[in-house]
Amino acid sequence: MSLSRSPSPNRGGGWSSPGLTAPFDDVGGRSSPRKPYGGEFPFSANGGASSSNVTWASAQAKSDEINGYPSFSTRNNGFFSRNARKLSRSLPSFTRGQRSYAEKEKLGRGRYKESRVRRIAAHIGMMIWRLRLRLMILLASLLAVILFYVTPMHRAYRRASLLGGGSKFVIILAANQGGGVMEWKGPREWAIERDSVKNKKKYAKKWGYDLEITDMSTKKRYAHEWRESWEKVDTIRNCMRKYPKAEWFWWMDLNTFIMEPSYSLQKHIFNDLSANTYRDINDYNPLNITHPFKSPYLDEEARSAVGDGKLSSVDLVIPQDCGGFNLGSFFVRRSTWTDRLLDVWWDPVGYEQKHMEWEHKEQDALEHLYINQPWIRPHTAFIPQRKINSFPMGACGDNGEDQRIHYKEADRDFVVNMAGCEWGRDCWGEMYNFRELSNKLNRTPWEKFKDSISEAIKRRKESKKAAEEEKKS
Amino acid sequence: MQFAYLARKTSQPPPYTRLSRTSSVRRRQLQLGAVAGCILLFLIFLVTRIFSTSTERAPPGTPETIIVTVLDRGSMSKDYISRIEENRQDYAARHGYGTFFAENADYDLGSSPRSWAIVPALRHAMTKYQHTTYFFALSAHALIMNPSLSLESHILEKRRLESIMLKDKPVVPPDSVIKTFSHLKSDKIDIVLTQDGEGLCQGSFILRRGDWARFFLDTWFDPLYRSYNFQKAEGHALEHIVQWHPTILTKLALIPQRLLNSYGVDISSRGGKEAMFKDDDLVVHFVNCEPDANRNCEQEMEPYYNQWKAHWGKS
Repeated sequence: MSLSRSPSPNRGGGWSSPGLTAPFDDVGGRSSPRKPYGGEFPFSANGGASSSNVTWASAQAKSDEINGYPSFSTRNNGFFSRNARKLSRSLPSFTRGQRSYAEKEKLGRGRYKESRVRRIAAHIGMMIWRLRLRLMILLASLLAVILFYVTPMHRAYRRASLLGGGSKFVIILAANQGGGVMEWKGPREWAIERDSVKNKKKYAKKWGYDLEITDMSTKKRYAHEWRESWEKVDTIRNCMRKYPKAEWFWWMDLNTFIMEPSYSLQKHIFNDLSANTYRDINDYNPLNITHPFKSPYLDEEARSAVGDGKLSSVDLVIPQDCGGFNLGSFFVRRSTWTDRLLDVWWDPVGYEQKHMEWEHKEQDALEHLYINQPWIRPHTAFIPQRKINSFPMGACGDNGEDQRIHYKEADRDFVVNMAGCEWGRDCWGEMYNFRELSNKLNRTPWEKFKDSISEAIKRRKESKKAAEEEKKS
Repeated sequence: MQFAYLARKTSQPPPYTRLSRTSSVRRRQLQLGAVAGCILLFLIFLVTRIFSTSTERAPPGTPETIIVTVLDRGSMSKDYISRIEENRQDYAARHGYGTFFAENADYDLGSSPRSWAIVPALRHAMTKYQHTTYFFALSAHALIMNPSLSLESHILEKRRLESIMLKDKPVVPPDSVIKTFSHLKSDKIDIVLTQDGEGLCQGSFILRRGDWARFFLDTWFDPLYRSYNFQKAEGHALEHIVQWHPTILTKLALIPQRLLNSYGVDISSRGGKEAMFKDDDLVVHFVNCEPDANRNCEQEMEPYYNQWKAHWGKS
């Protein structure tokens, strides 16, 4: 055995080194060895070489046992810490600059110096790193915006009955009215149809409504027995079947244009239906209908001017123009009452007697029902014309401008209906003008800014030209 | 230097711990809260129920059925009218029904035939008796011959109606393409009609109150039908709307004629012997006796009235 020090000359006695013998021996610094209690040690600390004594080696070994690392390693345990070197060596390395380290440094070439751009880039990188949390939030909100406004998610949540409620509304657009047999469509008619459809499609998509475009071309089925107006009824009924979840159905003629696509139907009308409609036709009564019924045999509800006065009983919302009801743009709600109305709206006995008188077909028939059948009135509400059906000056314009009827740019009316434009007016011209006006009114602030600049330049050019011309002349 | 480790948790926890005082208090509070909540909910339920039904519930003593008859004091004799009234009132008294005698002159029919008056009369009865469910429209020229039969057990009771409804039957005999629906359930029925050899009979039918009844009567009474010169006025108008408008057909039940509308005279085009009154039938109807100059309603009624009087009369 090798010992770090020569064995003690005093056999069995050991060095009198108090520090080493401390736990066992007397600390008093006695020079003479002393037998511990119980005689000999049963075993010696360092292999039994010197049994009853603590040697340097034995103490060191003991200390090793205590202070040394544990037998299992707690470090270098992870994959990366074990293989960091290997991994980093396997990665490609890029020397910065042309200079290789092996090359001898040459005078005059200078040391490698970081460029300013690089430094700025590093600085920016550092900044980004510091602001990482805030930037992440920004990015997330940006993503959310994209998700909701650019992708179809937008439509999904506008439609959901709990969020936007758009699936409750269906727009029925009557295209191709009277087309087919009666007349051929020219390029203007095509253009009108294209614009009108595009306008409604965009609107329906924006708010998550359903759009049903129906082909109203004269069909054999309806081109007989004055049945054309039955088609409107059939169309509404089919739509009710096609969209079983929808509640309100908005009928629109082709010659209508939604001027303000930013208005939702909910906000514009239905969230506060009672404020936006009137039940008592005496508020505006161009047909001079006697209202309410006076007959004593009718029940209270039928004799009341406003039906039962509850919103839940409103099943039909129609505007009135200067000549009575206007069915160019109106709402019906799905209900049993509506089923009945749609059922009795067209009746051959009525038409046989009245087809010469009823120019407006289903519109006149509805007026007739309203006037004569008491069950109709308690479920009908009227909406001010300009809420959903403003007229251009060409329609109803015989008595000058009417505040109730005619479109006003300053009030940003919702919808324009170019009613009757096919009778001697220019449908396409009107449609074009209103489309341009709508675009102009609904520019984004950025577009407005751009337009104002281009207009200013144009004006300056023009004034210059005028000035030059003045000089010349 | 080494600190002692914390004592290990035992891996065998004691099976239960004693509830602390606070938790038992809390528990009692919760129980109390739950009970209070239940009582509150029940009270709310009661209150809403009381207030919501207070407008709807029929006042006690409201008859379940009203017999509606239109009289024409201008053309009918006083004696005749009193017999009609007596007959209806006797039947009503036996079953707790009410009677409603309308006067033809009360309704402004314009130039249309007087027989139209039954339509506004029904509307009138529905206004007057706001809580009555059934309205039995019976022509003045008819007698109730078997007052022991109640309308419920005879016709209106759900199972009974289900069994007597004529399904998939041409509305206008013999071969109208419009047939009564074959899948109709009796609880969806709002009008019970009969049919004779010529068409639908509006001399005797039962109407159930509701939105549909109003819609039906108003549609039927449309001035365009009244001015159309239907050959049989309101009768043909009724056939017309039933055949053209499915929302009306879906609420209609046809039942065998003699359950509600037996005839007192033998008219071959209207069913002949088949339709004739037999003992124990509910109603005898002297159909079409008024406009026919060769017939006399009062004379036709005489033997039936005597028979009824002898059998059921009180005195």
